[in-house]
Amino acid sequence: MTVDSTPDELYHDAARVYGAALGRLARAYEADADLCRDLLQEIHIALWRSFSTFDGRCSLRTWIYRVAHNVAASHVLRQRRTRSQALVGLEELENMPAGNNTLQAADRSHALDRLLSMIQRLKPLDRHVILSYLEGHDAAAISEITGLSLGNVAVKIHRIKNLLARQFQQGETR
Amino acid sequence: MTNELRNPAQKLWQDQPMEGITMSAEVIRKRAAKFERKIMWRNVREYVAALIAAVPLGYFLVTARDVFAQVTFGLLIAGLAWMVVQLHRKGSVRSIPTEVSTLTSLQFYRAELERQREAVNTVWSWYLAPLIPGLLVYTVWSAIRSPRPAAWVGLALMDAAIAGMFYVVWKMNVRAARCLQRMIDELKAENPH
Repeated sequence: MTVDSTPDELYHDAARVYGAALGRLARAYEADADLCRDLLQEIHIALWRSFSTFDGRCSLRTWIYRVAHNVAASHVLRQRRTRSQALVGLEELENMPAGNNTLQAADRSHALDRLLSMIQRLKPLDRHVILSYLEGHDAAAISEITGLSLGNVAVKIHRIKNLLARQFQQGETR
Repeated sequence: MTNELRNPAQKLWQDQPMEGITMSAEVIRKRAAKFERKIMWRNVREYVAALIAAVPLGYFLVTARDVFAQVTFGLLIAGLAWMVVQLHRKGSVRSIPTEVSTLTSLQFYRAELERQREAVNTVWSWYLAPLIPGLLVYTVWSAIRSPRPAAWVGLALMDAAIAGMFYVVWKMNVRAARCLQRMIDELKAENPH
């Protein structure tokens, strides 16, 4: 994939390389299966359109995640009006008790559902950071995509690690 | 990140069964066109709803015998048209924002929150105020046409009910604007630069 590629070529390669990650991203932003399909399609269309202005000033990965997360954040804000559940920040989630439905690592499906529902409660920016962390991006990459300072990203990742460790380890030791 | 370095949560997340969608250039063009049509139809639905409200007003405008009535219904239609234009401009139904690729998530999120706050903050000027001139003229016209205390009481009650509805709409939007402002302030406090 180079800057000289046509938008169609860029889109095709992006969908091939990042298709599954985009699917996971859409799932983390929308719990309803039909709306999730619509959101994923919207992300693909936005990406395809955006490549006509891609100038290589940032990496293609940064570009793709930026477009995808921004489309998804826009979706969350649109849906906010029709949904009653308030979105929370990482720090609030960190302070909430784990409760009895702690992640059972042995049961992957339940663990994934629990992880997803936890992510879906977060505000868009915190959601973006946790998703990037789960996809294995480092703090510098997350900072570049989100526009958050490196220090802020580091604090958020620290919180995420604590949160996930608490949820998982408690589940595993039961 | 290699498999060995992934923590259990990252492994769980990345290994979840997921089929990415890949569309050929031809298919994505068709989907994009279909998506635009969907947005267009949503807009059309808004226009049709406004038209349904405008039809009886238009009928009254055409059949009105005196100038006061014509001015009343003309103003109400103009107010309705202004509301629809503003609703469209403020993006109650929006296609994919063009700035998704140029702004970082922080900038984009903040801009979206500010856009929504602006829309709800100014609701009185584009959603409520446009109807007031027509309603005022209607009140004056009705009061002149039926100079009886009973008719005036009826008019006063009707105006009070409308004012009550306006107040509720305005109050709900003020609350929404405050909530959005809180979110913006939190964002600013967390990311001062």
